[in-house]
Amino acid sequence: MMTRITRLGRHGCDLVEALGRAGMFLGQSLVGRPSVEGFKLWLRQMHFIGVLSLAIVLVSGLFIGMVLALQGFTILVDFGAEDALGQMVSLSLLRELAPVVAALLFAGRAGSALTAEIGLMKATEQLSSMEMIGVDPLKRVVAPRLWAGFVSLPLLTVGFSVIGIWGGHLVGVEWLGVYEGSYWGNMQSSVDFVDDIGNGMLKSLVFALVVTWIAVFQGYDLVPTSEGISRATTRTVVYSSLAVLGLDFVLTALMFGELG
Amino acid sequence: MNDSPLVVVEGLRFSRGDRDIFRGVDLTIPRGKITAIMGPSGSGKTTLLKLIGGQLAPEAGRVTIDGHDVHALSRKKLFALRRRMGMLFQSGALFSDLSVFENVAFPLRVHTDLPDAMIRDVVLMKLEAVGLRGARELMPAELSGGMARRVALARALALDPELILYDEPFVGQDPISMGVLVQLIRRVNDALGLTAVVVSHDIKETLSIADYVYVIADGKVMAHGTPQSLNVDQDPRVSQFMHGEPDGPVPFHYPADDFYRDMLNAGNAGEMR
Amino acid sequence: MKRSKMMEFGVGLFMLAGIVGIIFLGVSVSGLTVGGGKDTYTLQANFANIGGLKSQARVTMAGVTVGRVENIELDTEWYDARVTLALDSRLEDQLSRDTTASILTSGLLGEQYIGLSVGGDPDTLADGDTITDTQSALVLEQLIQQFVANMATD
Repeated sequence: MMTRITRLGRHGCDLVEALGRAGMFLGQSLVGRPSVEGFKLWLRQMHFIGVLSLAIVLVSGLFIGMVLALQGFTILVDFGAEDALGQMVSLSLLRELAPVVAALLFAGRAGSALTAEIGLMKATEQLSSMEMIGVDPLKRVVAPRLWAGFVSLPLLTVGFSVIGIWGGHLVGVEWLGVYEGSYWGNMQSSVDFVDDIGNGMLKSLVFALVVTWIAVFQGYDLVPTSEGISRATTRTVVYSSLAVLGLDFVLTALMFGELG
Repeated sequence: MNDSPLVVVEGLRFSRGDRDIFRGVDLTIPRGKITAIMGPSGSGKTTLLKLIGGQLAPEAGRVTIDGHDVHALSRKKLFALRRRMGMLFQSGALFSDLSVFENVAFPLRVHTDLPDAMIRDVVLMKLEAVGLRGARELMPAELSGGMARRVALARALALDPELILYDEPFVGQDPISMGVLVQLIRRVNDALGLTAVVVSHDIKETLSIADYVYVIADGKVMAHGTPQSLNVDQDPRVSQFMHGEPDGPVPFHYPADDFYRDMLNAGNAGEMR
Repeated sequence: MKRSKMMEFGVGLFMLAGIVGIIFLGVSVSGLTVGGGKDTYTLQANFANIGGLKSQARVTMAGVTVGRVENIELDTEWYDARVTLALDSRLEDQLSRDTTASILTSGLLGEQYIGLSVGGDPDTLADGDTITDTQSALVLEQLIQQFVANMATD
């Protein structure tokens, strides 16, 4: 019994220590003056993190929009309410699916790559040698990746929503024959720019912060062996998916729910 | 140049988990000489370099470089001090997304405001010194292990440091590139008059270039002296290491129960764990 | 150098696409209107009760959409709802002065919209005129109440 309590206590201490380390890591990375050099590094990471994730996010968005329209139509048509299809597709996407699914895809595509890349730099002593040259790897390697992640995911989420709504239009209007004016009109009358689009973007920004932070920290903090890298990569995807889904509930309750 | 030692290590203690790596190590590294630190694998030689470079913090004891206590410096001052050091890592640790030229130029670009033309001259000079001026456009992935280490040497020398730390420079090299590296380390030291610390367990090569040698085992300095004096040292542990005898005070066997009893107990072996 | 230019171009395009996307969401999905709609003209109509009519709802004539509801506000003179309609400009000076506007529901639970039907008056409605003949929305609760009251008196 005593040993169990002791073990629990040790896990607790480890957890707090890890959180503290992660927090310090984030703080030390983000504090600093912007510079031309930093901008160039950021731009490079925007390419790797944002532009290269675009394809998977857009394709998923298109299909999710199309499926939403298909599913929604079969239900709504029973009530003679197929005119509300645009409203349904756009609200589901903007409030919920685009931020969450884009964040999950982002964790799988960019997050795991970030962890593996930084982990490999650590395993091959590149981070150490940078330190010995007198350059802080937190500023040089970590910070541009964090900032690129923060900017990329909200942009990817916008892309996801837009193409999803277009996919819904394709299925609902072009194929199933919902009246085009009511698809857009109903959407416009029910979607509010601040409440729906703004809150969706806010969600996505929070997810961007969490996913990028987890990915980069896992890479920086891993055991520098090939096994350590593969474990850390898995942990990145698992932790960030759980964090995204959990936070999504909290944020939804605060933004749209009656719980707040 | 004054005669006080450049690096002084006093009473250094460090442990990783439950394992003590250093139990009170004292070293002095004189200026302008090559000091070798030798010891069997796993004796924490690389850890010692990281402690000197301030990447790890000791539990007790201190490291002073040119009068500065490395572990009492602020992060900013530590990074400033590191500009006066160069370190050659075991794997070379070249930045894999930069070409050979850019790798060597990296310290110059971040620490100086030199115009591009001058950076180019310095980089080509350093690459010429290690014989790889022709390889400047290659990426690190295209280099052999020995070449990567030579490029890393050129990078470590880019800012003309006062102190250079070599971490296992000879490990895993074929005889030719080993010879090249031995010669380079000696020549660089003679030409630039810098202070070098070589950590290695390759006895022959290390003794051929070192001015002074420390042997570390069991977390302590076991012996120190010039290469000549260590070669004739009568201490059995020193002579085992220096002459590479398989068994002796450092046992061939990992500590275990009596062999005969262990064989008879074969059936219980699984349960005992 | 060329490769890095390509990369910068790609990132620029990516960010531009994001901004365009946000604008698209704003204008076309949430219906933020920035000018536009030049080929419409407006008519006013007062309703005693608009039920669940929303702005952007469509306006139809014989089932064909001819415009949309631009604005709904409370008329503080009569305390009824003042609805502004934006109609296709091809219909300008075509609708007779006694045109009826009624609030209808598509299906049992569907959205509400405005249906127009023309009368026989030779005079026509011009931009900014008011439709006088209106029919309010059917409110389900009122219908049921009436029905129950009738049952009780029987």
